[in-house]
Amino acid sequence: MKSDLPTVKLLNRVLKNELTATNQFFLHARMYKNWGLNALNDHTYKASIKAMKQADDLIERVLFLEGLPNLQDLGKLLIGENTDEMLRGDVTLVTAMRTQLVEGIGHCESATDYVSRELLEDILEHTEDHMDWLETQLSLIDKVGSKNYLQAMM
Amino acid sequence: MYICICEQVTDREIKAAINEGASSLRDLRNELGIAKECGQCGHCAKAMLKEHADHNRSERPPLPKQAPSCGSTDLFPLFGHAILASD
Repeated sequence: MKSDLPTVKLLNRVLKNELTATNQFFLHARMYKNWGLNALNDHTYKASIKAMKQADDLIERVLFLEGLPNLQDLGKLLIGENTDEMLRGDVTLVTAMRTQLVEGIGHCESATDYVSRELLEDILEHTEDHMDWLETQLSLIDKVGSKNYLQAMM
Repeated sequence: MYICICEQVTDREIKAAINEGASSLRDLRNELGIAKECGQCGHCAKAMLKEHADHNRSERPPLPKQAPSCGSTDLFPLFGHAILASD
C-alpha cells in the first residue's frame, strides 16, 4: 500500500529515536550490571529490548507503506558516567521521543493513517511509562540519597 | 557524561580544555581527539564552546542580565534540543 512521503519520513524519524534508545538503554543496562546494580540492569535491559521490538514494528510498517526503513541513521547517545547522569541522559532521550511521538500522532490523524497512529500511540504509552519510572528513580535519589539508592539497586 | 564516545572524552575534560584556552572545535579536536571519527559529538562540543563564549560576554560590565554560569548549567536540555534539531 503506497503512502504519502511525509508519513514514511515521520516513521523513519521515530525509528531513528527507537534505534538510538535501543543502543543507549542497552549500554546503560550493561554498565549497571558491570557495577553490580542488578535491579537497574534488569529494568533498563527490558526497556532496550522493548525499544528494539518497537523499531521492528516501525520497520514493518514502513515496508508495508512501500518506503525504505532507515536503519543507518542513529542519534547521539547520551551516556552518563554515573547512575544519576545515566538516568538523566535517558530522561532527555525519552522526553525528545515523547515530543516527536505526540507530533507524529497528530500528523497521522490528519493524514487519516489510523494504523500508523495506533502504532505510535502504543509506542507513546511505553515511552511515558519508562519516563515515569526514570523520574521516580531520580526523585528516590533525591529523597534517600545516592548511596542508599544504589544499595537498594544491588 | 561522555560527549565523545569514540575517544571516551567527558564533558568535564572538554570544559577543562575550554577553560585552558581552547576556543574552536579544531582546538578541541587537536587537543582531545574529539569529532574525528563519527562526528556525532561535534554538535554538543560546539554548543559548549558557544555557552562559554556567551558566559564570558556576560561577565563584561555593565550588562542587565546575568547569563547562567558554565558550572551550574544543566547540559541535558541542551542535548535534548540537539536530538530534536538533528532530525
